[in-house]
Amino acid sequence: MRLKKVWKKRILFAAILALIPLVIVLLVWLVPQPPKGEVEYARLVISQATSNSAAIYSKKLYGEAKAFYDSAMVNWNKENERFIYFRNYEKVASFAELSAKKAEQATKVSKNNVTDLNILLKHKMDSLNKMVGMINKYFTAYPLSDEVRNRISKGKMLLKESEVAFKKGQFADANKKITESELLLTDSYKIATTSLKEYFNSYPVWKNWIDKTIKESRQNKSYSIIIDKYSRKCLVYLGGVRKYEYHVELGKNWVGDKRVRGDKATPEGMYRITRKLGSNKTKYHKALLINYPNETDKEEFRKEIAKGTLPRSAKIGSLIEIHGDGGRGIDWTEGCVALTNSEMDVVYKIASEGTPVTIVGSTVNLNQLLD
Amino acid sequence: MGLAAVAMVAVLSSCGKTPQVEIDAANAAIEAAKTAEAAVYLPAEFAAVQDSLNAVMTEIAAQESKLFKKFGPAKTKLASIVTLANQVAANTATKKDEVKGEVANLMTSIKTVIEENGKLIPKLPRGKEGAAVIEQIKADVATVDAAVVEAQGLFDKGAYMDALNKINAANEKATALNTEVKEALTKARIKF
Repeated sequence: MRLKKVWKKRILFAAILALIPLVIVLLVWLVPQPPKGEVEYARLVISQATSNSAAIYSKKLYGEAKAFYDSAMVNWNKENERFIYFRNYEKVASFAELSAKKAEQATKVSKNNVTDLNILLKHKMDSLNKMVGMINKYFTAYPLSDEVRNRISKGKMLLKESEVAFKKGQFADANKKITESELLLTDSYKIATTSLKEYFNSYPVWKNWIDKTIKESRQNKSYSIIIDKYSRKCLVYLGGVRKYEYHVELGKNWVGDKRVRGDKATPEGMYRITRKLGSNKTKYHKALLINYPNETDKEEFRKEIAKGTLPRSAKIGSLIEIHGDGGRGIDWTEGCVALTNSEMDVVYKIASEGTPVTIVGSTVNLNQLLD
Repeated sequence: MGLAAVAMVAVLSSCGKTPQVEIDAANAAIEAAKTAEAAVYLPAEFAAVQDSLNAVMTEIAAQESKLFKKFGPAKTKLASIVTLANQVAANTATKKDEVKGEVANLMTSIKTVIEENGKLIPKLPRGKEGAAVIEQIKADVATVDAAVVEAQGLFDKGAYMDALNKINAANEKATALNTEVKEALTKARIKF
């Protein structure tokens, strides 16, 4: 009987011993599992988004992804503070999932934005560089206001800064600079082209003068001179055919007709040589004086005085010549037309008193010019 | 037996303590790298350190969720993060010095070009003040001067990366102007 009791105790002890690991396994098995995989994945995709510069190019989505990740971690730590079997990680998993989703979107958007920005920036740089080329070609020697000149300079500098940032892959910075540059350059270019268009409104009149001058040269088989102010050209015709073409320099305010003495403008109109001045009679190598002001110029001047657009004390200009000492690469005369001395020698030789000298804004219309 | 099991859980689950000291040290090292402007000068390296800390924090939270906690590997990782963050901070200082030196060199070279431009521009044909070409050159020179002043301001504030971009652009522009002025002088047959 006693032996039976001992065995009973031993069996009970053995059963308890066997139950302990079972209980432990059960206890472990019952512990709620945190969404470690989901949180890990969210961290990985955020890291990818960071590498893809999503913080810059997809700021909102990237910010949201990080905020959801932080919420997941905060909730996870909060749940960990509760009794182990009462923990609930559903919110953690939900935040991690949202975070990953936003981070994936941020990477995608960032990549697209970088690609688009890259294309856009290249396109803008090309078009602005072309615009700068046009400005340099058509307006470097064109009288523009100081304000417009400064805006062009600032625009060019910002374009350069944008190019520097672009080369370093700093597309957002490059975009900021190019947007400012675009505004300045486009605005200045618009002002300059408007001014040029207004100037070229006189083209039909110029064309008429040119045709008459060439016709006279053809009919009389004589020399005629045409000065194209815009392209800075002196065109010499014989028998209606262009024989010589030289580069000229003008007065600094060469745009528009001469209105008054001292305005440093080169007049526009149909003139004739009235006097040939050899090297002993001019300080500019040799000179050909023209009949400026002619009757039309005098009439225009009187009209301006009468209208009050010129003061009563204003005086009409005079002593407009084609002369030497040119080739300086700049518009420097008081309104005369300057040639290099060797070219002046040729023009001086073929010219005589009465030779027509027609001065026009341009020999081609604006569309041809801009093409 | 139930009581014993609960007591055992309580004892086991409190084994292993969150390595707070190590976490604080890692955070402090990262903050130091941030203060050294690692995000500006070495953004990829800085992001990698931050990501490593995030990974360890996930690992720690996962251990905290377990019945039997084990923080040994996390502690080791946190120690390497401190080392890495310190390294990034040191590399940032080196990189910053490099950029600073580059800006300083460009500042010196651009000043030489600007001085030369200042001497050459008055030599452009006289009596043509107001001539469009010179006006544009003068406007460009003023813009370069303003950019240099701006770059100097950024340099003085310690914003070397921003200063570098600005001075690089100004330098290119000043050099282009120098060429333009020299060409104009050559054309006008003026010695310089």
